[in-house]
Amino acid sequence: MASIINSISFKNFFNYYGDYDDTRYEFEEGVNIIVADNGAGKSKFFNAFLWLFYDQVLDSDDKQKKNVKDFAVKIISDKAKQETSIGDQVETGIKIEYSTGRYKYQIIKSFTATRISEKITDFDSWQVTINDIEIDKTDHILPKYKPVYDAEEKDTIVKQLILPTLRQYSFFQGEEVDKMIDFSKKSSIEEAVRTLTNISKYEEISKLVKEIAEKAEKDLNKQTKATSEHNDRLDKAIEEKEALELKLEQESEKLGEFKKLYEDAEQEKNNLEQNFANAEKRKDLDDKISDKSRILRGVKDDYDNFLDGINKRFFDGNFSWISLGFENSIEEFKTKIKEFRQVRYEKQALLNASENPNDFFTFLPVNSPDAVSLDSMIEKEHCFVCNREAKEGSEPYNHFIKLKERPKNKNPKSFVKNDLEDFFGNLQINATPFYNKFDTIQTSVLRTREREIELKERLDKLNSELKSLKSQRKDILIAGTDSEHIDNATTIINNYKGAIRRMEQAFTRIERLEDSIKSIKADIKNTEKEITNLRPKDIPEGYTINYEISKDLVEASYNAKERVFDKMVSLLESHANKHFQNLIKYNDIKGGVLKFEKTPSGGISLDYIDELGNEVSGASEGFQRMKKFAVVMAIISANTSHYNYPLLADAPLSAFGKAFNKGFFEAIPDVFPQSIILVKDLYDKDVPEKLTDLGLKLLKSDFIKTFHINEVDEELAQIERTTNIERRK
Amino acid sequence: MTAQEFKSNITTKRPRYADSRIPLLEAFSEKGSRNADYSRFGPIYELYIYAMMLGIKRKTRLPLPPRNLTSDFLELGKWKRDSSLVDFLLMIIFTQTEDLSFDWNELEDMEEEQLNKVVSEVITLIEEYANGGLEYLETLWQKGELDTSHYMFIDLYKNLN
Repeated sequence: MASIINSISFKNFFNYYGDYDDTRYEFEEGVNIIVADNGAGKSKFFNAFLWLFYDQVLDSDDKQKKNVKDFAVKIISDKAKQETSIGDQVETGIKIEYSTGRYKYQIIKSFTATRISEKITDFDSWQVTINDIEIDKTDHILPKYKPVYDAEEKDTIVKQLILPTLRQYSFFQGEEVDKMIDFSKKSSIEEAVRTLTNISKYEEISKLVKEIAEKAEKDLNKQTKATSEHNDRLDKAIEEKEALELKLEQESEKLGEFKKLYEDAEQEKNNLEQNFANAEKRKDLDDKISDKSRILRGVKDDYDNFLDGINKRFFDGNFSWISLGFENSIEEFKTKIKEFRQVRYEKQALLNASENPNDFFTFLPVNSPDAVSLDSMIEKEHCFVCNREAKEGSEPYNHFIKLKERPKNKNPKSFVKNDLEDFFGNLQINATPFYNKFDTIQTSVLRTREREIELKERLDKLNSELKSLKSQRKDILIAGTDSEHIDNATTIINNYKGAIRRMEQAFTRIERLEDSIKSIKADIKNTEKEITNLRPKDIPEGYTINYEISKDLVEASYNAKERVFDKMVSLLESHANKHFQNLIKYNDIKGGVLKFEKTPSGGISLDYIDELGNEVSGASEGFQRMKKFAVVMAIISANTSHYNYPLLADAPLSAFGKAFNKGFFEAIPDVFPQSIILVKDLYDKDVPEKLTDLGLKLLKSDFIKTFHINEVDEELAQIERTTNIERRK
Repeated sequence: MTAQEFKSNITTKRPRYADSRIPLLEAFSEKGSRNADYSRFGPIYELYIYAMMLGIKRKTRLPLPPRNLTSDFLELGKWKRDSSLVDFLLMIIFTQTEDLSFDWNELEDMEEEQLNKVVSEVITLIEEYANGGLEYLETLWQKGELDTSHYMFIDLYKNLN
């Protein structure tokens, strides 16, 4: 039954200030997430387990592991230190509860420090006593804790939480994944297989039966010599076999040497290949980065200008946002100008009437009807104004004539002091663009927002593309070769060619030696047959049978070992691919599979190949780590149907993209019955929920069982800071 | 006085604002420093117009302090050149009849002196509504009720309908 961590609590442990009850995390089977920004207690949490397993903690200043005893003063919460008067004591500790199928354990590791002088951060100001580890145990039936006294049992209980041999796969910090498996070394996968399988048992058996067989042969030979029937031909055959075996041994040794040569040359080639390719790749990336930066700058300018221009739309006649809400004023203006004109006409008409009482009188506007219409009215003897007949000689007809002959006064006598008709009239005409947009403003505001979102999305996309390119370039630098010089490149090429030549030479020798070994083995087999034929018939049967059986056993055990190994490798391959596909589920990586290949030197290499069988290269650090993590998961899942230990990982996602993070959380429950993941990538201090979109999504996912957020008040001085744990789920 | 003379009498005036509004004007127009927290207008007159329209929407006229405590800026006629924006604004201003002591037709019969007074009355109306709008913005700003969105001004404007 799996070990499940139920809770962990701290007492004055680094920033976790206060008693155990104040700083407690509770966990469940399944995925548990702790989100914390830098400095908010992730590494401290991890340190608790380092203390539990190894009596050490990681010094965040120099990234070195320090013994708790020597480092104790730094482990005590600063606030707790400050609150301890000279002569008083402060206790610092961790308390972990975990259960297996049958029992539940509570483990406390702690120390007590007595303050002896003023300066609280000085190591000399404190006297530290490490307390004995306290372990209590209860079964699930009668939940009453009883102390465990036996030191050996205590030791077993701690080990059982995560077995020491498995801790490298189950308890790690982000970058350690890289070191877990080094694919450029032939032995790395073999070691992984060895850690988790019983392959070494097969090796032991193989060695044992070989010894037995040798002894059986010796005994048989001794018996042979002791009989009278023994003869020279048999002696000669035995000598021949011994000579062949010696030769086999020598050739095997040579084969080993050449395999080693091959492996070294291959390693050198791989390293150089990376260097060589890196230079090319870097140039390529630099070009891409420069292009992308240029486009980004353009879009950024567009975006900035766009934002700056938003308020311009108030005053631009094409948008006229300023008119929003002034529909009534415009209607009022129109009414008023109509009234204004009416009053004017009346005024003018009255003035005309009073000055020329015998002249025509009209309320029609000045010069209306116009001369052309009047002519037409006279000709057709019809009034277009009132649509009535006006026969020649009639009163209306005479009125037309009068009108036609009205004084053509170019400068009519002004009837007002200030003629402001044009002032108001022109306002109305000129301002048209500003008051004919009322219906479209709401839409134009909406479109503006849409356009901004479009630009922003484009900008974000470019930014993230650029970031990814830069991170790829950084990966190349991390790989260790920022070779700027041509002579360096020449050396690289020469060394590269040299390594290939040595690989080819070694490969030829390996082939030849393998052939030679094969033929020696055949010779030995034939010689053995001959020896059997030549053996006297009066040897006690037991010796012969013993010899024959042990011979068969040697062969069988060797084959079994090989078979188990091959089977394990192909099983690992299929599991690694399954996990890998789950991990990259949300990534934009096209197809491809992980392939485990046997190398001529007998090692196993791991390649990522596309559907055409070409190796995919140039992937980012995150991607490389993902590949390794898939293999780690495979090592665990391929070897056990149920892995019995929790996964405790600090910042495993630091180098990954968002898409991978999602895949990661979904994939880990496939392998680990419980996982506790400390992560900062889901933290967003700028939003009220303090979580990124993915963080919020995960919070709602069923497969996430508990969710904690750590917060530290950064405005306080370091000495005052404490970590607050908020459980969100 | 001709229509043209009357108009230019108005458009050659430089409306004024209270000196106490300078920080606000600097914070929300391009006159201020570059890294502002808020959305901003370009030239001062844009913010000034916006404030005036806010004032009219909210019907808040606020008299200016004595002249020596105020400053002027661009002539009205030069606000947004090559655009009929000012015509539109005058349309809005001349419809504020409850604020104006004259009837349009009366204007046509006024003596020059009286007409000049009317022009002053119009400019004062502009200044006082702008001051009312600026006061409103200032209060929101002080209370921290202005949001930092790029659409802050249009949202505020829309919501006053």
